Amino acid sequence: MDASWSPKPDVTRPRSLATVIYEWVDERLGLEEILALARKKTVPDHKYSFWYYWGGLSLFFFFVQVFSGVLLLVYYRPGPEAYESVRQITYDIQFGWLIRSAHSWSANLMVFAVFVHMFSVYFMKAYRKPREFGWWSGMALLALTLLFGFSGYLLPMDDLAYFATKVGLEIPAALPLVGTFLTDIVRGGPEVSETTIQRFFALHVVILPLIYLPILAFHLWLVQKHGNALPPSEEAKPESERRTIPFFPDFFSLDLGMWLIALNVLSILASLYPWQLGPQADPLAPAPVGIHPEWYFMSQFQVLKVFGRWFPGAAGEALGISLFTLAIVIWAAIPLFDTRTAGGRRAQIATYFGYFALLGMIVFSIWGYLDLK
Amino acid sequence: MNYPFWDVPLIGSGWVIGIIAIIHVMVSHFAVGGGFYLPMAEAKALREGREDWLRALRDHARFFIILTGVFGAMSGVGIWFAIGLAHPESTSTLIHNFVFGWAIEWVFFIVELTAAAVYYYGWDKLPRRTHLIVGWIYAFCAWMSLVIINGILTFMLTPGASWLGAAGTGQEAAYFWQAFFNPTYFPSLVLRTLVCISMAGVYALITASRIDPLAEPQLKDELIRWSAKWLLPSFILVPFCFFWYLASVPESQRALLKLGISTIGQGTFTQVTRAATVVVMTSATILAFVYFSAWRNSRHFNLGRALCVLFLAFAATASAEHSREMLRKPFVIGEHMYSNGIRKQEVERFNREGYLTNSMWLKTDAPPVSLRRVAFGQPVEPETAANLARGELMFRGQCLACHTVNGYRPIARLLQGRDRQAIMAFLKTLHENKPDSPYRSYMPPLVGTADEIEALADYLDAILNHNVKRRSDHLAQADRATF
Repeated sequence: MDASWSPKPDVTRPRSLATVIYEWVDERLGLEEILALARKKTVPDHKYSFWYYWGGLSLFFFFVQVFSGVLLLVYYRPGPEAYESVRQITYDIQFGWLIRSAHSWSANLMVFAVFVHMFSVYFMKAYRKPREFGWWSGMALLALTLLFGFSGYLLPMDDLAYFATKVGLEIPAALPLVGTFLTDIVRGGPEVSETTIQRFFALHVVILPLIYLPILAFHLWLVQKHGNALPPSEEAKPESERRTIPFFPDFFSLDLGMWLIALNVLSILASLYPWQLGPQADPLAPAPVGIHPEWYFMSQFQVLKVFGRWFPGAAGEALGISLFTLAIVIWAAIPLFDTRTAGGRRAQIATYFGYFALLGMIVFSIWGYLDLK
Repeated sequence: MNYPFWDVPLIGSGWVIGIIAIIHVMVSHFAVGGGFYLPMAEAKALREGREDWLRALRDHARFFIILTGVFGAMSGVGIWFAIGLAHPESTSTLIHNFVFGWAIEWVFFIVELTAAAVYYYGWDKLPRRTHLIVGWIYAFCAWMSLVIINGILTFMLTPGASWLGAAGTGQEAAYFWQAFFNPTYFPSLVLRTLVCISMAGVYALITASRIDPLAEPQLKDELIRWSAKWLLPSFILVPFCFFWYLASVPESQRALLKLGISTIGQGTFTQVTRAATVVVMTSATILAFVYFSAWRNSRHFNLGRALCVLFLAFAATASAEHSREMLRKPFVIGEHMYSNGIRKQEVERFNREGYLTNSMWLKTDAPPVSLRRVAFGQPVEPETAANLARGELMFRGQCLACHTVNGYRPIARLLQGRDRQAIMAFLKTLHENKPDSPYRSYMPPLVGTADEIEALADYLDAILNHNVKRRSDHLAQADRATF
């Protein structure tokens, strides 16, 4: 251990129990070294600093997902009893409704936070060298987050979950060549059934976490390695005019404050607008009127719908999916296109493309909801 | 029964009171707590010779007087208008019992407003000691107004055995003090005083967040940390006072808190539990947020973070006030008057003689306005029109205090899928109000004669199922419920 970081014992005063315990642990784990590292790390302080908190907020909601998910796991039974077990959680078990509601709400809030984080990183141009892998790992985490949401939505097996999943699976099914094959594997057959629940459950609680956690660790390591990026307007300032704050304890405690606000927003939503459970899914019954996927799949759903209208048949769907794939490829490749730190034509194009993508998502989502009526 | 009914579409009349009252509580509790904050901070500044503190406190005093003197006073008057319109019967009962209480409160209120104006406008004009005394006069009068209104508010939940014994005899006012110092008076007073102290800190953090950390770093550090401390007493003591308060509430009302522990049910019956969950979460975390954001990072404590503290305080206050109101269910004045204004003592008489017998609002010569759209194009017999008008008046008198047709607690959704027979069966359950009825702990009994309840069923059938039948059709049905 570096001697310069070791606390100097005050021989004139008896040491408190907490100090003794701390020193005992520090001697074995080197806590002071970690703290020294955290104190050395700084975070830029400027008018856009607010956007730095969204990565942490996404992480916070992920922790809530894990915690509430484990509690739900105690009572949830996948398979034929899926609906009944969720009914028990919601109506019989003490505060079961609150845990389920918190899980569902935090899933939505997590998706929202991840989207805000992605767009803030994009517009601050934090994908540029040397942060390209941060951008790509972040995109992978977003895709996995959406898959978490999609696979979890079916698990209660009420009518809304059943038909929304059925509709949602139309998106991958429209993929050229492999679409039907892939969708059948995920579904466990040509129709959404109890087998699908088993598969989605395995995906939701085992497979996705196993993929998600190492990528998350990689993403966090990159954040630690490269630090927070400066937005172009701050980068243009001379070094002497830039301000920073220490990561520990200053930014860390501000981050914790934001987590507390997030916890309260979640608590208010979960308590005052508890997640409802619809009637048990009946595959033979007609789909409820206006069935649609969750809000974060709405823009994709609407694009497919619109293209299907404009170009009837498989051509429309294939065109819609191709357009999507192209947009995602461009989105992922943006660090390779917009590489220069100083402003320029490419930087401008990238910014306009970001506005276009954001606007497209919002417009198609709103259009999708209006189209349901 | 002879007051007109106030129909507020979508949100219902209860939420008109609720919205005004929650905002008023946020401001009025600041008016009391801030009343102590200002002279205490001023005394400290004078003792330590801190001119920078005095300058900042003057800014805070301006914010204080504008918010409490203008907004607080206006919303207070707003509550009077709203309760008079939404709950005329209970407002009448309160006035008859507590008219002298309110008179005393208004005296304190006038002194409070005057002292606030003198305090702010006399900042550099009065001798400093006199100025400080004015501040303390304000603080005392503001707290005394709480001392008085607290008696009336707590009376509505727990009027006490003495007053209830005299209720309906005309001698109620003779039990003024027993009603005033009712079982929940003292725990509520301590709770509210603690909340007032917190509010002083919450609002002071807003003013302090505006101080430029580059120009006056020491002032910002000190004022934020000193203001943050004002949240500590309530954080430590409120849990104990809350249990004291709950222990003073009748068991039947405490049971409402437990309704939502295991089920979200229809949602309405579990509102107290769900709102209380928010109170617990926000109250438990507000101090931690202030510690991380303000105490540890006072120089970075900007208006956005100060508004986050205010948001948490607002969520806690709104949920707590909502829970307190809901805890009275099915009464508006505990064990005396139901939430629809019907006195417990009147139930049997209304069932025997009829709820609408003496109503001056019954117009039987045309279908009710609310049904004209439904009945449009259909010939409505005079007898049917009269019957639907009676049904509508039953709805307005007994349901409208808590329900709307399509908005908050909507009848249209709650009775969705029921035909007339099912509606009638439900009304029968409400009318019988048996001890094992799931609605008994939350809803008043439905009163009236068999004919009046049939008329209500016809009216509900008409607005829910757009089914305007002739009265004689129903009378001919063999399955007609009997009472």
